[in-house]
Amino acid sequence: MKGIERYWKMLAVCLLALAMALTACSRGGQSSDGSPSPSSSPSPGAAQPAESSPAQPETVTVKFTNFSASGDNEKVLQQMKEEFERQNPHIKVDIETLPFNDYFTQMQTRVASGTAPDAYELNYENFIAYAKKGVLLDLTPLFGNFDTSALNKNALEAFRADGKQYGLPASFSNVVLFYNKDLFDQAGIDYPTSSWTWADVNAAAEKIRALGKDIFGIYQPVQFWEFYKTVRQNGGGLMNDDMTAFTVDRPENVETLQHLVDRILKTNVMPTEAQMAGMGDWDLFKSGRLGMLVTGIWAFPDFASNITFNWDIEVEPGNKQKATHFFSNGLVINKDSKVAEAAFEWVKFMSASREAAMIRVEAGWELPAVTYEDVQQKYLQVTPPDNKKAVFESLDYLVTPPVVEQNAEMTDIINLHLQAAAMGAKSPADALRDAQAELEKRINL
Amino acid sequence: MLKRYAGPVLFHAAATVIAVMVLIPFFWMISTSLKSKGALTAVPIQWIPEEISFEGYRKVFEVFPFARTILNSAIIAVLTVSIRLTAASMAAYAFAKIRFRGRETLFALILATMMIPQQATFIPLFLVMKELDLVNTFTGVVAPSIFNAFAIFMLRQHMRTISDAYIDAAVMDGAGHRTIFIRLMVPLSAPILATLAVIAFMDAWNDYLWPLVMLTEPKKMTLPLALSKLSGQYATDYNTLMAGSLISIVPILIVFLAAQKHFRAGLQVGGLKG
Amino acid sequence: MEHSRRQFGRFAAFWFLLPCLAGLILFSIIPVFYAFWISFTDWDGLKPIDPRAGVPGFVGLDNYAAILAGEEFWRVLRNTLFFIAMYLPLILAASISAAMLLNRPYRGVAVYRVLFYIPVLTSWVAGALIFKSILSPEYGGVNDILRIFGIPGPGWLYDAKWAMPGIVLASIWKDMGFFALIFLGGLQGIDTDCYEAAKIDGAGVWQRFWHITLPLLSPITFFVIVICLIFSFQLFPQVMIMTDGGPIGATQVMVERIYRYAFSYYKMGYASAFSFILFAIIFVFTYLQLKLQKKWVHYDA
Repeated sequence: MKGIERYWKMLAVCLLALAMALTACSRGGQSSDGSPSPSSSPSPGAAQPAESSPAQPETVTVKFTNFSASGDNEKVLQQMKEEFERQNPHIKVDIETLPFNDYFTQMQTRVASGTAPDAYELNYENFIAYAKKGVLLDLTPLFGNFDTSALNKNALEAFRADGKQYGLPASFSNVVLFYNKDLFDQAGIDYPTSSWTWADVNAAAEKIRALGKDIFGIYQPVQFWEFYKTVRQNGGGLMNDDMTAFTVDRPENVETLQHLVDRILKTNVMPTEAQMAGMGDWDLFKSGRLGMLVTGIWAFPDFASNITFNWDIEVEPGNKQKATHFFSNGLVINKDSKVAEAAFEWVKFMSASREAAMIRVEAGWELPAVTYEDVQQKYLQVTPPDNKKAVFESLDYLVTPPVVEQNAEMTDIINLHLQAAAMGAKSPADALRDAQAELEKRINL
Repeated sequence: MLKRYAGPVLFHAAATVIAVMVLIPFFWMISTSLKSKGALTAVPIQWIPEEISFEGYRKVFEVFPFARTILNSAIIAVLTVSIRLTAASMAAYAFAKIRFRGRETLFALILATMMIPQQATFIPLFLVMKELDLVNTFTGVVAPSIFNAFAIFMLRQHMRTISDAYIDAAVMDGAGHRTIFIRLMVPLSAPILATLAVIAFMDAWNDYLWPLVMLTEPKKMTLPLALSKLSGQYATDYNTLMAGSLISIVPILIVFLAAQKHFRAGLQVGGLKG
Repeated sequence: MEHSRRQFGRFAAFWFLLPCLAGLILFSIIPVFYAFWISFTDWDGLKPIDPRAGVPGFVGLDNYAAILAGEEFWRVLRNTLFFIAMYLPLILAASISAAMLLNRPYRGVAVYRVLFYIPVLTSWVAGALIFKSILSPEYGGVNDILRIFGIPGPGWLYDAKWAMPGIVLASIWKDMGFFALIFLGGLQGIDTDCYEAAKIDGAGVWQRFWHITLPLLSPITFFVIVICLIFSFQLFPQVMIMTDGGPIGATQVMVERIYRYAFSYYKMGYASAFSFILFAIIFVFTYLQLKLQKKWVHYDA
């Protein structure tokens, strides 16, 4: 009988909790009608009366959510925060670091429900959608005497939409050609130089491929982020100059895709997906079985600590012209933030200050998007790779991706057709013609 | 003589084949978790790492407050199990053994809720939580588990197979619904309840996206969130990932082994039939 | 028999249902109706909304019309049905066999019961990664075994024809232990007297299986089929981790598209409409099963 009593007690507790939840429902309904701010603290228990009171400017708290410190860099971000709070004693930064995995799903949910943090991080791919849908604050009015020349022009440009600056670049990573020196030596060929073209790459790749059944010449993924750049190397482009129409099936682009596909299917200097067998391109390179790899400089820390053979980097080879590209994570401010000015101070510090840049470089946490000479010098000192200046040389040839509100959808459409060509299911010409047709149907420009 | 052994031999042969097939992937997981970063990419694949490395485990234990996240996950999991099982077994009893108007319609409605993909109701559910002021609370994380159509369905199916003769006998003795439910139906459903407890625990223990959105304070972080922070934007360390996954399986395994006892207890109750 | 108990506790059902009903309304009905409303709008799922003020951008049935008129929906539906057609018979066969095995009175059976259940306890993240490597065309274990029998293994996840069978394989691995345990619960409920009587009547192993085990197991089988169908129409995490919908869209399935439209393309209205079309399909399938169950399911033998 004791068991029964205990059971009903437990049930009573559950029902009580439910009843409390229901009352909270009606209470919540009344109170939030009165307060128009969606960005107020979501936790009722931890109400901090001092937090957003304008009368006491020294106690402003900025909520900041990010993903790029997850992994190994939370301590580095903490260091930046401490430095910032030392310089700005009236601003407190409340950092929330979340995993990259599903970060954008959770951010979307918070933005949609009006519980977004004051400032947060977005990658470039998602930035445009957020900016174009009007959930971000235009930062230009907050600039004051902020000197934007401290920032890399292209990286800054990337976080502008419809003529407004919606974000500042936090970090910045461009893409270069990595190569395995030992394999080049074995094949008896010269190392790549900055004047190499596609033809040089293909010739070298074929010689390296001949070294063994499991050794491949080059890996350059056939997907949107590589493709929008490689077509530019061949004088093509995925959109016209004023970005009012897609030009995916231009002959220059077909030629580019043919070049990329031939490497896989004809000469097989690049492995097929089946030959990759679920292995990542970095893993292939790290295992010493890949001559050249086109990838981002964020690979440096990993490669430096996990590779035993000799390797280096070079500016990516072009064809008719040179073109390189980059990825960037941006810092944005919630349009409904009540502490926008303080949030901007933090964003500005993280993005453009010499102190934050130095902390970043010392920790080897990607590349700050700044132009300070001493920061760049500091960056060059860390080796391998020896030819680190190729990172900065590559910046001279930067091209930017098409800016479209339906960014992810466009990327997926193009990727689907590129994959069909890479697997030999369609000819490059057919694949790009189909992609063009589908883009015209589904993407509004 | 031969015939006497044929049964057990066939049994063990068949069961071992299945067990091996089931366990190969699991073995691979253990092996990966014990590899150094370099050995991860070795060709041909090393089924048994040439060099045992605890790199992955070290990282798991170093990076985040392990005890805290385990405790958070445990609180959430235990609450989920108790709420879900209590509410579902009560509802299942009503559906299986009490006749009331609209029973089939209501049951169909409950089944129907399983047919809507969660992806569509994710943001609306979060909005409900915001209205209830439950964002960033454990209550908010576990509250939705008070309704679980799957558990209700499973228990109702089982309770329907329990003979009415038991109930009639209890009614003769003057028992009410409450007594019948607690003294008869719950013990007779023990094996199913044990199965559901394991599932509920696992759901809560492994749940990722919902706590990620609901909990905004680092000190409330659960184990899957912490583990997933070990991978960055560009790189995933599989040895760390597998080490973390293995560690997070252990508590589930303990719960499962504990629940096993009740499978047997349930059997004994069933045996009273004869 | 139920009528004899009708007299006592007329409102008992209500009290027993109360906790579940409260949860049903708050955490299921309200969000579902909200999502239903969203399906008639062009909401992007990003602009903040106030639940009391509603959702802007009413477009009527446009989302539904666009989905049904497009080629994508039918292709994705075909992929989903392809999965179910392979998964459902295989999982039933595998889990019933495993359950029969676990129901034998031999020593060590408890150990196997635990072992068979381990994949269920493994998260899909780990499970899918493992299968990616085991199904690897060049180095994977599955093709190694096929090679022993002189069969050239397919490209599995990297071949548009074989990617879905690969996902089915992984799903069977993951789910078998779970359903086997449910069937085991059913088997243990079967009175051993039935078997003894049949044995005396001279029924063979197969006859006993078809005429005693299967009919007595039918409530459980019915439950498993209904659940499997509902869940496999919503197949999702394994696809995302193993193939991400590829190669060339061969494993794009319903919920994968819904997730994509909702959280990647920022078309929440469209995604919601997609969800309710999926709901309608699952509903029809389940309804048919509930109607047909009278023909083959035996309760309270």
